[in-house]
Amino acid sequence: MPEPVGFFTDTTICIGCKACQVACHQWNDLPTRLPLPVLSGNSYDNTGSLSDVNWRHVKFIEQFSPDRHQAAWLMMSDVCKHCVDAPCLEVCPTGAILRTEFDTVYINEPACNGCRDCIAACPFGVIHVSESKHIAQKCTFCYDRLRQGLTPACAQACPTQSIRFGPLKQLKEKAQARVEQLKKQGVEQAQLYGADRNILGGLNAFYLLVDKPETYGLPSEPKLPSRRVPRSSIAAIIAGFLSLLGALFAFRERTRRGRTPTEGGTR
Amino acid sequence: MNLFVADPEWGWWIILYFFLGGIAAGAYFQATLLQLFGNDEDRDLARAGYWLAFPLIILCGLFLTLDLGQPTRFWHMLFRSEVVDQALADGWPWTGTGWQWMVHAPLLKYWSPMSIGSWALMVFGLCSFLSFLGSLWPGGRLDRLLRHSILGKFLAVVGCGVGLFVASYTGVLLTATNQPLWSDNILIGALFLTSAASTGVVAMLGLARLRGLGSAEALRRLSKVDRWAVWLELVALVAFLAVCGSSLGAVLRTWRGEVLVAGTLVFGIVLPLLLHRFADIFRRPTTLTLAAAVLFGGLLLRYGIVTTPGEILRQGPAAAGAPAATDMTERVVNGDPSRVVGFSPEDGRLPGGGRGADPDNRPADLHPRSKAFKGD
Repeated sequence: MPEPVGFFTDTTICIGCKACQVACHQWNDLPTRLPLPVLSGNSYDNTGSLSDVNWRHVKFIEQFSPDRHQAAWLMMSDVCKHCVDAPCLEVCPTGAILRTEFDTVYINEPACNGCRDCIAACPFGVIHVSESKHIAQKCTFCYDRLRQGLTPACAQACPTQSIRFGPLKQLKEKAQARVEQLKKQGVEQAQLYGADRNILGGLNAFYLLVDKPETYGLPSEPKLPSRRVPRSSIAAIIAGFLSLLGALFAFRERTRRGRTPTEGGTR
Repeated sequence: MNLFVADPEWGWWIILYFFLGGIAAGAYFQATLLQLFGNDEDRDLARAGYWLAFPLIILCGLFLTLDLGQPTRFWHMLFRSEVVDQALADGWPWTGTGWQWMVHAPLLKYWSPMSIGSWALMVFGLCSFLSFLGSLWPGGRLDRLLRHSILGKFLAVVGCGVGLFVASYTGVLLTATNQPLWSDNILIGALFLTSAASTGVVAMLGLARLRGLGSAEALRRLSKVDRWAVWLELVALVAFLAVCGSSLGAVLRTWRGEVLVAGTLVFGIVLPLLLHRFADIFRRPTTLTLAAAVLFGGLLLRYGIVTTPGEILRQGPAAAGAPAATDMTERVVNGDPSRVVGFSPEDGRLPGGGRGADPDNRPADLHPRSKAFKGD
């Protein structure tokens, strides 16, 4: 069995070139959405977000002072996190979402029927439905390349090694060393997101951030959907029991005196 | 409230399924109780419930199928498609190998409300179909079998339980997501169930009045059941709003959130309670007004619940009044990684720790789409 693999994305050295996004598009033959994206007018990013045809997306987090005299940019190449405890895989009723031998999360396209439960479950807004194929779409972690012993296209294309690919254990060691290096340089906010088990058991695609997760559009405490099922079910059972009581009481008196001898005889 | 999620864009097919499925489940639940505990006078009312449940659940199945991106793959909810393909390739049903594959085809994830709900709908469809057939020919062989035999009573008990399940699992399904409002509230299932009880009962009342079914006494008692169900719905709605807590503000800042709260309260609860209290409920126009109000309130409840998260997401974090960002370093210190509830096999799974929530699939047999490596 191969070792679990992952991405370590160091956002401090991302330059926003979008080479990863282009490589992903090209390798996976993702269609171009027409009309071609134009400048949005509110950002230098013109692809906006992850979508059915953008399995990688470089976020431009543009922070301006109120008078817009000062500006700071954060860049982050966003992708499916391939969670160790994956909400999409957990809820998928068709078994179309499964875990590969590399411990990544993969959508088996012929099995998906487009119910969209995985979209509702994903805490990162990663999965979208294809407008042409009408099934769920997301990063495959270049499963076809992994099976050939190749690096995923995005990591291969990244010119600054902001996206690093490798066995999870090694990546985490490198990430920890990088955090310590940054802290020594005075970047006190440097922190890892998804490297430990706190977030959905760990993320196979984890990040080094220099601001709060919400600044990057990442939730602080995503949860597995099934954690709410027992309590929600108990509440529904109580409501059902009370409804049953009401119905039984309304007909109770009738039942006591309403049985006819004939009916009793037939039973 | 997680505002970084994508909207699944569940629209009118799902809203109508939640609404009509609730009526079907509520009516069937009440009809089976009348069959089990009522007397001869109540039999007509039970028939009204059966007449409603089966046609409505068929419509629901149709709506659910139409909502799928790939409607012809609706059966993938119940059977592993790749295993069925393998079984067919091996000659099922004519060969032993085919059957060896096919017995592994049924797919049930007890921790996934959509998976277990799909099976519940099948069972509910079967129960309501048999009851519907029996009710078409009162006094006929099937009707007598269903009413008097142990098998019939067993079917009624199973149908009653599955009816309650169908009425509420849709709400639990919404809670088992990461969407704003839905995932923040564990009472949606309870709220849907109480609403299903009231809408199912008034649908029976309305049909009974239109078709002249049931004695005055039976109708009076059924209206008592409805009054109880509406009170329960009021309690469930208040508790639901209380559980929303700080996210209630974000809900009420949306138009759909206002429809959810005000529409349900006015049409589904207050107006019906006023009619029960002050009007002669047995006059035909009053009964029909009551039925229309409760049903409209039930529809607005589903519409509001299903569509409000999408509107919250479109408004964005600022408009939704998102809580202040959490400092990760602080959260990790306070976090308790050992706290694992483990309702599903995915929960608490370690890196490289096995298949988790995808039992029995075989990734080694997959052929991923690739533009370079053909036939891999």
